[in-house]
Amino acid sequence: MRKFYLLPCWLLSAPLWAATPEFELVIRDHLFFPSTLEVPAGVKVRLMVDNQDETPEEFESYELNREKVIPGNSRTAIFIGPLKPGEYPFFGEFYPKTAQGRVIAK
Amino acid sequence: MFLNAVILVLQEILEASLLLSLFLLLTALQREPLALGARWRAAWVPLSIVLGVLGSWGFAALTPVVSAWFDYVGQEVVNAAFQIVTIALLLTLGYAWRGAGEASFLARGGGMICLIVIVTLAITREGSEIILYTQGIMGQREVLTSVLSGATVAIGIGVSCGVLLYYILRNLNDRRALRVVALLLAFFSGNMAMQAVLLLNQADWLPYTAELWDSSALLPENTVLGQLLYALIGYEATPSLAQLLAYALACAAFMLTPLFRRAWARGEIQGE
Repeated sequence: MRKFYLLPCWLLSAPLWAATPEFELVIRDHLFFPSTLEVPAGVKVRLMVDNQDETPEEFESYELNREKVIPGNSRTAIFIGPLKPGEYPFFGEFYPKTAQGRVIAK
Repeated sequence: MFLNAVILVLQEILEASLLLSLFLLLTALQREPLALGARWRAAWVPLSIVLGVLGSWGFAALTPVVSAWFDYVGQEVVNAAFQIVTIALLLTLGYAWRGAGEASFLARGGGMICLIVIVTLAITREGSEIILYTQGIMGQREVLTSVLSGATVAIGIGVSCGVLLYYILRNLNDRRALRVVALLLAFFSGNMAMQAVLLLNQADWLPYTAELWDSSALLPENTVLGQLLYALIGYEATPSLAQLLAYALACAAFMLTPLFRRAWARGEIQGE
Protein backbone atom coordinates (compact mmCIF):
# COMPACT_ATOMS: atom_id res chain seq x y z
CA MET A 1 0.00 0.00 0.00
CA ARG A 2 2.72 2.42 0.94
CA LYS A 3 4.08 2.38 -2.60
CA PHE A 4 0.83 3.79 -3.93
CA TYR A 5 1.02 6.76 -1.58
CA LEU A 6 4.51 7.45 -2.76
CA LEU A 7 3.67 7.29 -6.45
CA PRO A 8 2.10 10.76 -6.73
CA CYS A 9 4.99 12.24 -4.73
CA TRP A 10 7.44 10.60 -7.05
CA LEU A 11 5.58 11.88 -10.13
CA LEU A 12 5.47 15.40 -8.77
CA SER A 13 9.07 15.52 -7.74
CA ALA A 14 10.46 13.84 -10.87
CA PRO A 15 10.74 17.12 -12.79
CA LEU A 16 12.63 18.62 -9.86
CA TRP A 17 15.45 16.16 -9.79
CA ALA A 18 15.67 15.87 -13.54
CA ALA A 19 16.50 19.56 -14.04
CA THR A 20 16.13 20.57 -17.68
CA PRO A 21 19.55 21.34 -19.17
CA GLU A 22 19.76 24.87 -20.53
CA PHE A 23 21.73 26.14 -23.51
CA GLU A 24 22.35 29.72 -24.55
CA LEU A 25 22.07 30.86 -28.16
CA VAL A 26 22.96 34.43 -29.12
CA ILE A 27 21.80 36.29 -32.23
CA ARG A 28 24.19 39.09 -33.22
CA ASP A 29 24.51 40.77 -36.64
CA HIS A 30 21.95 38.23 -37.92
CA LEU A 31 24.20 35.28 -37.03
CA PHE A 32 23.71 32.55 -34.46
CA PHE A 33 26.43 32.03 -31.81
CA PRO A 34 27.29 29.22 -31.46
CA SER A 35 26.12 28.04 -34.87
CA THR A 36 26.55 24.43 -33.80
CA LEU A 37 24.98 23.51 -30.51
CA GLU A 38 25.62 20.12 -28.97
CA VAL A 39 22.85 18.89 -26.70
CA PRO A 40 22.24 15.59 -24.92
CA ALA A 41 19.96 13.20 -26.82
CA GLY A 42 16.87 11.73 -25.15
CA VAL A 43 16.16 14.60 -22.77
CA LYS A 44 14.19 17.81 -22.98
CA VAL A 45 16.38 20.88 -23.38
CA ARG A 46 15.67 24.57 -22.79
CA LEU A 47 17.22 26.92 -25.35
CA MET A 48 17.59 30.49 -24.13
CA VAL A 49 17.80 32.67 -27.23
CA ASP A 50 19.24 36.14 -26.72
CA ASN A 51 18.60 38.46 -29.67
CA GLN A 52 21.15 41.27 -29.37
CA ASP A 53 20.18 42.84 -32.69
CA GLU A 54 17.80 45.80 -32.93
CA THR A 55 15.56 43.88 -35.33
CA PRO A 56 13.27 40.91 -34.62
CA GLU A 57 14.28 37.44 -35.81
CA GLU A 58 12.34 34.23 -36.11
CA PHE A 59 13.89 31.01 -34.88
CA GLU A 60 12.63 28.36 -37.29
CA SER A 61 13.34 24.67 -37.66
CA TYR A 62 11.24 22.21 -39.59
CA GLU A 63 13.29 19.32 -38.17
CA LEU A 64 12.70 20.43 -34.57
CA ASN A 65 9.13 21.51 -35.41
CA ARG A 66 9.70 24.87 -33.75
CA GLU A 67 9.14 28.48 -34.72
CA LYS A 68 9.21 31.58 -32.59
CA VAL A 69 9.65 35.28 -33.16
CA ILE A 70 12.26 36.90 -30.93
CA PRO A 71 11.84 40.69 -30.75
CA GLY A 72 14.94 42.90 -31.03
CA ASN A 73 17.06 43.26 -27.87
CA SER A 74 15.21 40.58 -25.96
CA ARG A 75 15.51 37.06 -24.63
CA THR A 76 13.20 34.12 -25.02
CA ALA A 77 12.98 30.44 -24.14
CA ILE A 78 12.30 27.54 -26.51
CA PHE A 79 11.95 23.99 -25.24
CA ILE A 80 13.09 21.26 -27.62
CA GLY A 81 13.29 17.49 -27.55
CA PRO A 82 13.71 14.87 -26.22
CA LEU A 83 15.64 14.36 -29.47
CA LYS A 84 16.91 11.20 -31.12
CA PRO A 85 20.65 11.37 -31.81
CA GLY A 86 21.22 13.32 -35.02
CA GLU A 87 21.51 16.72 -36.66
CA TYR A 88 18.71 19.28 -36.63
CA PRO A 89 19.24 22.41 -38.74
CA PHE A 90 17.62 25.69 -37.71
CA PHE A 91 17.65 29.16 -39.23
CA GLY A 92 16.54 32.72 -38.70
CA GLU A 93 13.56 33.05 -40.98
CA PHE A 94 13.98 36.81 -41.36
CA TYR A 95 17.66 36.50 -42.33
CA PRO A 96 17.87 32.96 -43.73
CA LYS A 97 21.03 33.64 -45.79
CA THR A 98 23.23 34.34 -42.79
CA ALA A 99 21.38 33.14 -39.70
CA GLN A 100 21.96 29.39 -39.95
CA GLY A 101 22.75 26.83 -37.32
CA ARG A 102 22.25 23.27 -36.22
CA VAL A 103 21.56 21.35 -33.07
CA ILE A 104 23.47 18.12 -32.71
CA ALA A 105 21.91 15.65 -30.30
CA LYS A 106 24.39 13.11 -28.93
CA MET B 1 14.57 35.93 -50.17
CA PHE B 2 11.68 36.21 -52.64
CA LEU B 3 10.45 32.64 -52.16
CA ASN B 4 11.13 32.84 -48.45
CA ALA B 5 8.93 35.92 -48.21
CA VAL B 6 6.20 34.25 -50.29
CA ILE B 7 6.07 31.22 -47.98
CA LEU B 8 6.30 33.24 -44.77
CA VAL B 9 3.58 35.73 -45.64
CA LEU B 10 1.40 33.07 -47.29
CA GLN B 11 1.52 31.02 -44.11
CA GLU B 12 0.03 33.95 -42.23
CA ILE B 13 -2.50 35.13 -44.82
CA LEU B 14 -4.02 31.80 -45.88
CA GLU B 15 -5.57 30.82 -42.58
CA ALA B 16 -7.42 34.11 -42.11
CA SER B 17 -8.41 34.23 -45.77
CA LEU B 18 -9.89 30.72 -45.84
CA LEU B 19 -11.63 31.25 -42.50
CA LEU B 20 -13.23 34.46 -43.74
CA SER B 21 -14.41 32.62 -46.88
CA LEU B 22 -15.99 29.85 -44.82
CA PHE B 23 -17.83 32.36 -42.65
CA LEU B 24 -19.01 34.35 -45.67
CA LEU B 25 -20.34 31.12 -47.17
CA LEU B 26 -22.00 30.17 -43.90
CA THR B 27 -23.74 33.53 -43.59
CA ALA B 28 -24.77 33.45 -47.27
CA LEU B 29 -26.11 29.90 -47.12
CA GLN B 30 -27.76 30.11 -43.71
CA ARG B 31 -29.06 33.56 -43.09
CA GLU B 32 -31.80 32.83 -40.60
CA PRO B 33 -29.98 31.18 -37.68
CA LEU B 34 -27.72 34.19 -37.41
CA ALA B 35 -30.59 36.63 -37.92
CA LEU B 36 -28.27 38.96 -39.76
CA GLY B 37 -29.90 42.28 -40.50
CA ALA B 38 -28.89 43.99 -43.74
CA ARG B 39 -26.69 46.40 -41.81
CA TRP B 40 -24.76 43.66 -40.04
CA ARG B 41 -24.43 41.63 -43.21
CA ALA B 42 -22.61 44.54 -44.79
CA ALA B 43 -20.60 45.50 -41.74
CA TRP B 44 -19.26 42.44 -39.95
CA VAL B 45 -16.48 41.64 -42.43
CA PRO B 46 -14.93 45.13 -42.67
CA LEU B 47 -15.39 45.52 -38.90
CA SER B 48 -13.50 42.27 -38.18
CA ILE B 49 -10.72 43.22 -40.60
CA VAL B 50 -10.28 46.68 -39.04
CA LEU B 51 -10.28 45.20 -35.51
CA GLY B 52 -7.84 42.50 -36.68
CA VAL B 53 -5.43 45.04 -38.17
CA LEU B 54 -5.56 47.15 -34.98
CA GLY B 55 -5.07 43.98 -32.95
CA SER B 56 -2.06 43.04 -35.09
CA TRP B 57 -0.35 46.38 -34.43
CA GLY B 58 -1.11 46.18 -30.74
CA PHE B 59 0.04 42.58 -30.42
CA ALA B 60 3.21 43.20 -32.45
CA ALA B 61 4.05 46.22 -30.26
CA LEU B 62 3.44 44.18 -27.09
CA THR B 63 5.47 41.14 -28.23
CA PRO B 64 8.65 42.15 -26.34
CA VAL B 65 6.61 42.42 -23.12
CA VAL B 66 4.51 39.29 -23.69
CA SER B 67 7.64 37.36 -24.63
CA ALA B 68 9.03 37.65 -21.09
CA TRP B 69 5.84 36.43 -19.39
CA PHE B 70 5.70 33.00 -17.71
CA ASP B 71 9.49 32.67 -17.69
CA TYR B 72 9.94 33.61 -21.37
CA VAL B 73 7.17 31.50 -22.89
CA GLY B 74 4.48 34.21 -22.89
CA GLN B 75 4.07 34.24 -26.68
CA GLU B 76 3.27 30.53 -26.81
CA VAL B 77 0.84 30.76 -23.92
CA VAL B 78 -1.00 33.82 -25.28
CA ASN B 79 -1.20 32.40 -28.82
CA ALA B 80 -2.45 29.06 -27.51
CA ALA B 81 -5.05 30.96 -25.44
CA PHE B 82 -6.22 32.76 -28.62
CA GLN B 83 -6.60 29.39 -30.30
CA ILE B 84 -8.47 27.85 -27.40
CA VAL B 85 -10.84 30.85 -27.31
CA THR B 86 -11.34 30.41 -31.07
CA ILE B 87 -12.30 26.75 -30.61
CA ALA B 88 -14.65 27.66 -27.75
CA LEU B 89 -16.38 30.30 -29.91
CA LEU B 90 -16.66 27.95 -32.91
CA LEU B 91 -18.26 25.34 -30.67
CA THR B 92 -20.57 27.98 -29.16
CA LEU B 93 -21.62 28.96 -32.67
CA GLY B 94 -22.16 25.32 -33.61
CA TYR B 95 -24.06 24.33 -30.48
CA ALA B 96 -26.27 27.42 -30.48
CA TRP B 97 -27.29 26.79 -34.09
CA ARG B 98 -31.08 26.71 -34.45
CA GLY B 99 -33.58 26.69 -37.25
CA ALA B 100 -35.25 29.80 -38.68
CA GLY B 101 -37.52 31.73 -36.40
CA GLU B 102 -36.38 30.07 -33.19
CA ALA B 103 -35.42 32.66 -30.61
CA SER B 104 -31.84 31.93 -29.70
CA PHE B 105 -28.55 33.19 -28.43
CA LEU B 106 -27.42 33.61 -32.04
CA ALA B 107 -30.46 35.66 -33.04
CA ARG B 108 -29.80 38.08 -30.19
CA GLY B 109 -26.41 38.97 -31.64
CA GLY B 110 -24.31 36.23 -30.05
CA GLY B 111 -23.54 34.63 -33.41
CA MET B 112 -22.35 37.93 -34.82
CA ILE B 113 -20.02 38.44 -31.88
CA CYS B 114 -18.61 34.91 -32.33
CA LEU B 115 -17.88 35.55 -36.02
CA ILE B 116 -16.29 38.94 -35.38
CA VAL B 117 -14.11 37.77 -32.48
CA ILE B 118 -12.92 34.62 -34.30
CA VAL B 119 -11.89 36.54 -37.43
CA THR B 120 -10.33 39.36 -35.36
CA LEU B 121 -8.25 36.86 -33.38
CA ALA B 122 -7.13 35.06 -36.57
CA ILE B 123 -6.01 38.32 -38.18
CA THR B 124 -4.34 39.49 -34.95
CA ARG B 125 -2.28 36.30 -34.60
CA GLU B 126 -1.23 36.20 -38.24
CA GLY B 127 -0.98 39.93 -38.90
CA SER B 128 1.32 40.63 -35.95
CA GLU B 129 3.83 38.11 -37.37
CA ILE B 130 3.79 39.88 -40.74
CA ILE B 131 4.36 43.23 -38.99
CA LEU B 132 7.31 41.83 -37.00
CA TYR B 133 8.70 40.30 -40.19
CA THR B 134 8.44 43.63 -42.00
CA GLN B 135 10.21 45.36 -39.12
CA GLY B 136 12.83 42.61 -39.19
CA ILE B 137 13.77 43.05 -42.83
CA MET B 138 13.50 46.84 -43.02
CA GLY B 139 17.21 47.13 -42.24
CA GLN B 140 18.25 45.14 -45.32
CA ARG B 141 17.93 47.50 -48.27
CA GLU B 142 19.39 45.00 -50.74
CA VAL B 143 16.61 42.46 -50.20
CA LEU B 144 13.75 44.90 -49.58
CA THR B 145 12.48 44.78 -53.17
CA SER B 146 12.44 41.00 -53.38
CA VAL B 147 10.81 40.69 -49.95
CA LEU B 148 8.14 43.26 -50.74
CA SER B 149 7.37 41.66 -54.11
CA GLY B 150 7.31 38.24 -52.42
CA ALA B 151 4.91 39.54 -49.80
CA THR B 152 2.69 41.06 -52.50
CA VAL B 153 2.60 37.77 -54.43
CA ALA B 154 1.78 35.93 -51.20
CA ILE B 155 -1.08 38.31 -50.38
CA GLY B 156 -2.32 37.78 -53.94
CA ILE B 157 -2.18 33.98 -53.67
CA GLY B 158 -3.68 33.99 -50.16
CA VAL B 159 -6.62 36.22 -51.04
CA SER B 160 -7.16 34.36 -54.35
CA CYS B 161 -7.37 31.02 -52.54
CA GLY B 162 -10.04 32.44 -50.26
CA VAL B 163 -11.99 33.93 -53.19
CA LEU B 164 -11.59 30.71 -55.19
CA LEU B 165 -12.86 28.59 -52.31
CA TYR B 166 -15.84 30.92 -51.95
CA TYR B 167 -16.85 30.77 -55.60
CA ILE B 168 -16.20 27.04 -56.05
CA LEU B 169 -18.49 26.29 -53.12
CA ARG B 170 -21.02 28.97 -54.10
CA ASN B 171 -21.38 27.23 -57.46
CA LEU B 172 -22.21 23.90 -55.88
CA ASN B 173 -25.80 23.49 -54.84
CA ASP B 174 -26.42 25.06 -51.43
CA ARG B 175 -26.82 21.76 -49.66
CA ARG B 176 -23.46 20.40 -50.78
CA ALA B 177 -21.75 23.73 -50.17
CA LEU B 178 -23.03 23.82 -46.60
CA ARG B 179 -21.71 20.29 -46.02
CA VAL B 180 -18.25 21.26 -47.22
CA VAL B 181 -18.29 24.45 -45.12
CA ALA B 182 -19.30 22.50 -42.00
CA LEU B 183 -16.62 19.90 -42.67
CA LEU B 184 -13.91 22.51 -43.19
CA LEU B 185 -14.96 24.30 -39.99
CA ALA B 186 -14.58 20.98 -38.14
CA PHE B 187 -11.07 20.57 -39.62
CA PHE B 188 -10.33 24.17 -38.67
CA SER B 189 -11.27 23.46 -35.04
CA GLY B 190 -8.99 20.42 -35.12
CA ASN B 191 -6.18 22.48 -36.61
CA MET B 192 -6.49 25.15 -33.90
CA ALA B 193 -6.37 22.49 -31.16
CA MET B 194 -3.34 20.86 -32.76
CA GLN B 195 -1.48 24.16 -33.04
CA ALA B 196 -2.30 25.03 -29.43
CA VAL B 197 -0.83 21.72 -28.28
CA LEU B 198 2.34 22.32 -30.30
CA LEU B 199 2.74 25.77 -28.73
CA LEU B 200 2.16 24.45 -25.22
CA ASN B 201 4.74 21.70 -25.88
CA GLN B 202 7.21 24.36 -27.00
CA ALA B 203 6.49 26.27 -23.77
CA ASP B 204 6.88 23.06 -21.72
CA TRP B 205 3.35 23.47 -20.35
CA LEU B 206 2.39 20.11 -21.82
CA PRO B 207 4.59 17.02 -21.66
CA TYR B 208 6.34 15.62 -24.70
CA THR B 209 4.58 12.84 -26.59
CA ALA B 210 6.06 10.68 -29.33
CA GLU B 211 6.15 11.86 -32.93
CA LEU B 212 3.79 9.64 -34.92
CA TRP B 213 5.15 9.94 -38.45
CA ASP B 214 7.34 12.07 -40.68
CA SER B 215 5.89 12.89 -44.09
CA SER B 216 8.24 15.83 -44.68
CA ALA B 217 10.00 13.99 -47.52
CA LEU B 218 6.66 13.32 -49.22
CA LEU B 219 5.12 16.75 -48.70
CA PRO B 220 7.23 19.39 -46.95
CA GLU B 221 5.38 22.07 -44.96
CA ASN B 222 7.46 24.85 -46.49
CA THR B 223 5.85 24.62 -49.94
CA VAL B 224 2.78 26.39 -51.30
CA LEU B 225 0.83 23.10 -51.35
CA GLY B 226 2.02 22.26 -47.84
CA GLN B 227 0.90 25.67 -46.58
CA LEU B 228 -2.46 25.39 -48.34
CA LEU B 229 -3.15 22.00 -46.79
CA TYR B 230 -1.94 23.29 -43.44
CA ALA B 231 -4.44 26.15 -43.55
CA LEU B 232 -7.27 24.03 -44.99
CA ILE B 233 -7.09 20.81 -42.97
CA GLY B 234 -4.18 21.38 -40.56
CA TYR B 235 -1.55 19.35 -42.42
CA GLU B 236 1.49 18.74 -40.23
CA ALA B 237 4.49 16.73 -41.48
CA THR B 238 5.60 15.55 -38.02
CA PRO B 239 2.61 15.42 -35.66
CA SER B 240 2.92 14.13 -32.11
CA LEU B 241 0.44 11.82 -30.41
CA ALA B 242 -0.94 14.67 -28.27
CA GLN B 243 -1.40 16.86 -31.35
CA LEU B 244 -3.32 14.16 -33.19
CA LEU B 245 -5.53 13.49 -30.15
CA ALA B 246 -6.29 17.19 -29.74
CA TYR B 247 -7.12 17.42 -33.45
CA ALA B 248 -9.47 14.44 -33.29
CA LEU B 249 -11.15 15.69 -30.14
CA ALA B 250 -11.83 19.26 -31.35
CA CYS B 251 -12.88 17.99 -34.78
CA ALA B 252 -15.30 15.48 -33.23
CA ALA B 253 -16.68 18.10 -30.83
CA PHE B 254 -17.57 20.31 -33.79
CA MET B 255 -19.06 17.37 -35.69
CA LEU B 256 -21.51 16.83 -32.83
CA THR B 257 -22.88 20.39 -33.03
CA PRO B 258 -26.36 21.03 -34.45
CA LEU B 259 -24.71 23.18 -37.14
CA PHE B 260 -22.73 20.21 -38.44
CA ARG B 261 -25.45 17.65 -37.89
CA ARG B 262 -28.09 19.74 -39.67
CA ALA B 263 -25.73 20.31 -42.59
CA TRP B 264 -25.11 16.56 -42.93
CA ALA B 265 -28.66 15.42 -42.14
CA ARG B 266 -30.68 13.69 -44.82
CA GLY B 267 -33.48 15.64 -46.44
CA GLU B 268 -33.79 19.38 -46.95
CA ILE B 269 -31.43 21.77 -45.26
CA GLN B 270 -33.16 23.09 -42.20
CA GLY B 271 -33.06 26.71 -41.31
CA GLU B 272 -33.32 27.88 -44.94
